[in-house]
Amino acid sequence: MTRGTLVYLGQRLVLVAFTAFAVSSIVFIGIHQLPGNAFLSDRRESPEAQAALLHHYRLDLPWPTQYVIWVTGLLHGSMGESLVNRGVQVTPLLLREASVSATLGACALLITVGLGITLGVLASTYQNSWVDYLATTTAVVGYSMPNFVIASLLVLLTVTGFYRWSGGTFYENIGWGKPEQVIVPAITLGFPFASYVARMTRASMLEVVRQDFVRTARAKGVKPFLIVVRHELRNAMIPVITILGPLVTGILTGSVVVESIFGIPGLGNEFVNSIITRDYNVVIGVFTFYAVLIGLANLAVDLIYPILDPRIRY
Amino acid sequence: MAIHEIDPMADDYVLAPQVATWRDVLQRVSRNRLAILGAVIAVIVIFIGILSNFWTPYPYWREALGPTFEGPTLAHPLGLDAAGRDILSRLMLGAGIAIEIGIGTSALVSVVGVTLGLFAGFYRGKLDALISTGINIWYGIPDLLVALIFVVLIGRGLQNIIFAITITRWMDMARLVRGQTLALREREFVEAARASGTKDRNILFGQILPNALGPIIVQATLIVPAAILLEAFLSYLGLGVQPPTPSWGAMAAQGFQALQLAPHIVLAPALALSVTLLAFNWIGDGLRDALDPRMRR
Repeated sequence: MTRGTLVYLGQRLVLVAFTAFAVSSIVFIGIHQLPGNAFLSDRRESPEAQAALLHHYRLDLPWPTQYVIWVTGLLHGSMGESLVNRGVQVTPLLLREASVSATLGACALLITVGLGITLGVLASTYQNSWVDYLATTTAVVGYSMPNFVIASLLVLLTVTGFYRWSGGTFYENIGWGKPEQVIVPAITLGFPFASYVARMTRASMLEVVRQDFVRTARAKGVKPFLIVVRHELRNAMIPVITILGPLVTGILTGSVVVESIFGIPGLGNEFVNSIITRDYNVVIGVFTFYAVLIGLANLAVDLIYPILDPRIRY
Repeated sequence: MAIHEIDPMADDYVLAPQVATWRDVLQRVSRNRLAILGAVIAVIVIFIGILSNFWTPYPYWREALGPTFEGPTLAHPLGLDAAGRDILSRLMLGAGIAIEIGIGTSALVSVVGVTLGLFAGFYRGKLDALISTGINIWYGIPDLLVALIFVVLIGRGLQNIIFAITITRWMDMARLVRGQTLALREREFVEAARASGTKDRNILFGQILPNALGPIIVQATLIVPAAILLEAFLSYLGLGVQPPTPSWGAMAAQGFQALQLAPHIVLAPALALSVTLLAFNWIGDGLRDALDPRMRR
């Protein structure tokens, strides 16, 4: 950790905070221009009760005043109270949900990187053979299949399929909570991105295998497997890690869909529900959380670069 | 949703691929069997989309045509959905929606991205710094969430959705065109044009744009499946095109509710969507291979 790195880290953290603040401010202002509110749709309340509710949430004030109140709260670490689940504070709720999303995202990232690199290496090692075509086709099919299509197929296969084949003894429902329930959503989320990694790995492996140091290694009799792992893959990874940042963003965004498919109590599911129920405080809160998560994830990726490729320095 | 594929060359001063003639490119694309297959599928989907405006086997909104959740029969080749509506008719209309979204977004993104990219790359300086910063910040914002918010803010009409997707998708094109322009503006023919007193506008649109057209077309082709995908996600989450207008994403979402009872409801739009996306990806990849001299075998 040199001084330059620290300065860079500080600058990036400020940028993350600034982006998150700017984005959530825009969402705040935009969303408060919308007609209607969270209390119109549910149980009919008397006009007095409505007015009392609006007053309680300070929604009867002009939006600039509300904005000031919101920013003040934000500086104190509070994003207000949910409009739909009354009395529930947004910040602890979202912190809990963020940990769920992060777990799912981490599992998906593992699958993405593991599967992607395996497919890419296989395809390049057996270039232009059936293995290559199979791996390449899997990759193209992967990024042409929306998450919910993969989800449908996987659920049909695992839930319905296993149930029928095992004669009813094996039944695993989709949901969240048990460790094995993370597998299907994680594959759903990770598979489309694995195909990007596979394509990238294949292309850069094909460039690396023609390099002199690989020929040298082969000439001095290094085992083929070790050549792939030690000499080729290590160098082929450099272009691949450049897409890690967009990859993490993609996985976090994709979790919105996957969580609402499988009913996983994470940030994404909350976002969709809160948009539909017009729970503005939660909408803004989730958006802020996403902006921060993505900013931090990208920062983490950027800090990993110099470790993997010593030529990069900040 | 798709991750933004980073082209490591886009930001550098690379030479734009020198396209001898478009006939040459066409020849190379036509040797790519997958690209041809993709083109055939795309033409069929576009044709079905247009046809669905004039004719579908049944009205797409008519309910209770038979038993709900009915599987494929002769009268209804793809079966009926939860409300007893003909899935084939709805699928055909969905093709039209998907194509409109895909091509509409691609056109709008091209206009916005090409304009921003040309000006940023040509004038450089403050304008470039502004646009480039915008691009970089925008990359860090989750596209689906932005699109969802925009749809909530501006409504769920077809044009609004195209607009919302464009807002989340303009950066790739702008970045690409900026990189191309940066490289092309240093070339001799641009210098010659400038020396002979050609106006900036004419250099931009008469000299630089035509020479950057190859990569632009590839990018524009790849935006079509990306936009269709994003719209499918919006519909799947219940914030796409207003029902009862059938969109493939919304049909899949409804089908997912009854996945174990009647898998055909989700499989039909899922397959249609996957095949369409695959076709456009094949065309885009084929064009890229044909236009990119680095990929020549």
